[in-house]
Amino acid sequence: MDQDGIHTPAAQPSWNTRVKDNRPELEALERDAELMLRVRDGDQASFGLLLERHRGPVIHFLYRMVQRQAVAEELAQEVFLRVYKSRGTYEPSAKFTTWLFRIATHLGLNWIRDGRTECRQASLDEETVEGATRQVADRTRSVEQELVHRAKLKEVRRAIECLPSKQRAAVLMHKYDEMEYTEIANVLRCSESAVKSLLFRAYEHLRSRLAHMA
Amino acid sequence: MGCPIGDDGGDELILAYGARTLAPQQQVELERHLESCASCREMAEAQRTVWSALDAWSPATVSWNFDERLFRRIENEEQKAWWRRLLPVSWSWRPAVPVAAACAALIAAFLLKSPALFFPETSSDSQPKLEIEQVEHALDDMDMLKQLGLESAADKAQTMGKI
Repeated sequence: MDQDGIHTPAAQPSWNTRVKDNRPELEALERDAELMLRVRDGDQASFGLLLERHRGPVIHFLYRMVQRQAVAEELAQEVFLRVYKSRGTYEPSAKFTTWLFRIATHLGLNWIRDGRTECRQASLDEETVEGATRQVADRTRSVEQELVHRAKLKEVRRAIECLPSKQRAAVLMHKYDEMEYTEIANVLRCSESAVKSLLFRAYEHLRSRLAHMA
Repeated sequence: MGCPIGDDGGDELILAYGARTLAPQQQVELERHLESCASCREMAEAQRTVWSALDAWSPATVSWNFDERLFRRIENEEQKAWWRRLLPVSWSWRPAVPVAAACAALIAAFLLKSPALFFPETSSDSQPKLEIEQVEHALDDMDMLKQLGLESAADKAQTMGKI
């Protein structure tokens, strides 16, 4: 099955092919495009529905990129504002989520690049507590387990933060948003082989830092 | 990796194995290989560890007023002046500054080279001419009046003499 979900019997199977039924994904794709076309025609309620569907993934992606909740939400606001402003010129030629994540990645990478990271190390320590408290508390864990969990979480966040920004974006999209290489390549505007290379190097780094957590 | 699959997309295969996205048949084949290949086994285990470690990072909850803030921003954007809305989204004054500076430099150069093009001799030069003409006319009028005055005085004297 190729990227558009069309069966091509002669094609070689990709190792990255997710084992899942693609029909719901296709329906969601069509639904996004349909909603966006309605927004283009002035239907505000459809924008609300799009926001409801994609608010979470965009904020979570940006949060893991910049590792600061307030910044992530601010950037996510900018993402949706840009989507709304571009409604007049929207054409459903590309997948909506690809477009959405392209804007989000662009803003996230710019934020990291623009040196707004001088207090990131300090903020990471502050946000570890904040992030942990803001997450849904797991009441099944004991205090000791909770402390161990927090320590692990801190280590994971540090490992992700140490990745070069583009590798970080690729890993986050691959791991948490379950995107395939082709889609990540479309978001990052690079080739599929470049994405594979980014991911291999990123996971190699993460294996060296997190393998002891087994 | 030092094994047959290592030269042929082995990394990709192990990433997919760690992510549990391999097709069942491929998974069986890989697991059979892992039994005999220590380096691939080690890498696959490390990858699975990374995968489950990343799972621990659950996202923080989104602020309750996120949508409200967004809709307020959208409303503010909508209320902006029409001419600002016509400008592209990415418009910034930053690139306009050097363009404006270049334009100013060009105008200054033209002014220095040929000021007549920009300041033609119109009102400033014609005004003194007008003033001179007016003064000349006034002087002529005064002469005429003087002559008229003299003539009338002579006429008066003549009539007085006759009387």
